[in-house]
Amino acid sequence: MSDLWEVLVRHFPEFRSGFLVTLELVAISLVIALGVGTVVGALRAAPSRWGRWLGGLYVELFRNTPLLVLLYIAYLGLLDEGINVSPLAAGTASLGLYTAAYVAETIRSGVFSVSRGQIEASLSMGMTHRQTLRHVVIPQAIRTVIPPLGSLVIAMIKNSAIIGVALGLADDLLKEARQINARTFQTNEVFFWAAVGYLMLTVTATFAVRYLERHLAVRR
Amino acid sequence: MSLFDPDNWRWLFAGNNLPFLVRGFWINVQIAAVAMILSLALGLALALLRVSTGRLRRAAAGVWIDVWRNLPLILVLLYLALAMPPAWRDAYRRAVPAWLPSAFESQFFLAAILGLTLYNSAVLAEIMRAGIQSLERGQGEAASALGLRRWQAMRLVILPQGLRRMVPATVSQLITLMKDTTLVSILAIQEVMRHGRIVTNTSGSPFVGTGVDAPLLQVFLVIGVMFFTVNLLLSRLSRRLEIRERRRTGIEVERVTGVEDQLVTEVAAR
Repeated sequence: MSDLWEVLVRHFPEFRSGFLVTLELVAISLVIALGVGTVVGALRAAPSRWGRWLGGLYVELFRNTPLLVLLYIAYLGLLDEGINVSPLAAGTASLGLYTAAYVAETIRSGVFSVSRGQIEASLSMGMTHRQTLRHVVIPQAIRTVIPPLGSLVIAMIKNSAIIGVALGLADDLLKEARQINARTFQTNEVFFWAAVGYLMLTVTATFAVRYLERHLAVRR
Repeated sequence: MSLFDPDNWRWLFAGNNLPFLVRGFWINVQIAAVAMILSLALGLALALLRVSTGRLRRAAAGVWIDVWRNLPLILVLLYLALAMPPAWRDAYRRAVPAWLPSAFESQFFLAAILGLTLYNSAVLAEIMRAGIQSLERGQGEAASALGLRRWQAMRLVILPQGLRRMVPATVSQLITLMKDTTLVSILAIQEVMRHGRIVTNTSGSPFVGTGVDAPLLQVFLVIGVMFFTVNLLLSRLSRRLEIRERRRTGIEVERVTGVEDQLVTEVAAR
């Protein structure tokens, strides 16, 4: 038991910097995932058939390919072609674009959860298309979308651990843990603290989603 | 761009490059199948504990499920491979039957299967719990009014209906598991990712390879296409099952945290 505290105290700087890198990976990937995901989700619901087809292709392509394969293509593959991508860019772009496919599906289902009748009602009340979107569709869609988006953030936190260890693209929490372990062989203690670090992030995300859900809930 | 340059694709049909990649992919399919069967069994046990009457058992199962569901799978795999006592690894290698694929003989294979099972059984338990709890209370009450004991009601009334509702979500989880099998390449298990690296490293050599360079980008694009094809078929299957189930029972779908695109069936509150 004393070993447990000793490992944390002695290697705290490494654990902390790894934790911060993991946070950074998640934050950058989240911005990419939300940005690209919204665009693709909008395409999926677009009036043009080509737009819908393109959005569908993106979703199926990124959702059905392993993240590790995307990382290999985005980093080693492009490097091999003479295109020099920075490890951080390759890692976060892969994770972000991968998650964007799920974000797009979530957003699309959120938009479609608003019933047709409501949209027709607000249009017939004389609201413009834009006003309908802003005052009727989006406020409701956001509420439907928050719980599934929260579970995507949790999945993303977990998936971020692949970036550092699989290809060594970032010195994140898991990679730091692996390096400490290679020096000390205190596997149980080191991985215990790495697990605590990831649980801190995923559990915080869980509670944040629950809080948002309660505060945005509408009585219907 | 050299991506579509035919010269960069000649490796695909040179020597046994393509069959070698397909053999690697087949290993991933087999790993997913083994892990899925074990996860379904363990997941059902956990789900039953989770809905049992004992408060302590219920809480313990809940904590167990939440911990494994919220940890990165790759951390679990790495930890198990590093922490597993050598005696276990040797015992496994002695016990593994000769008819299994040679990748299954790796000393880290036990850790790989254990990690995949711990993670997926926790997710499946949560899916099954939602399936069980989606049934109307009346079902259980009717069963007990008919004089069935609790476990009889569970086995004869609740489970057959509850588990039916989770079939589409389970197929979706199988897609995630298929993708996750690539992570065991980190434990030096010879599956498709490792086979891909071998092809890119050796194909160009006239002695051990085919003498035709296999560029990394193209090799891993081909591996991506393999996963894409199989998973697309699985997701079509999942969607079809879901629509059929909804038509039969009129149930709505709801998401479960910790799952990427899995839909869990729940009774609509309408």
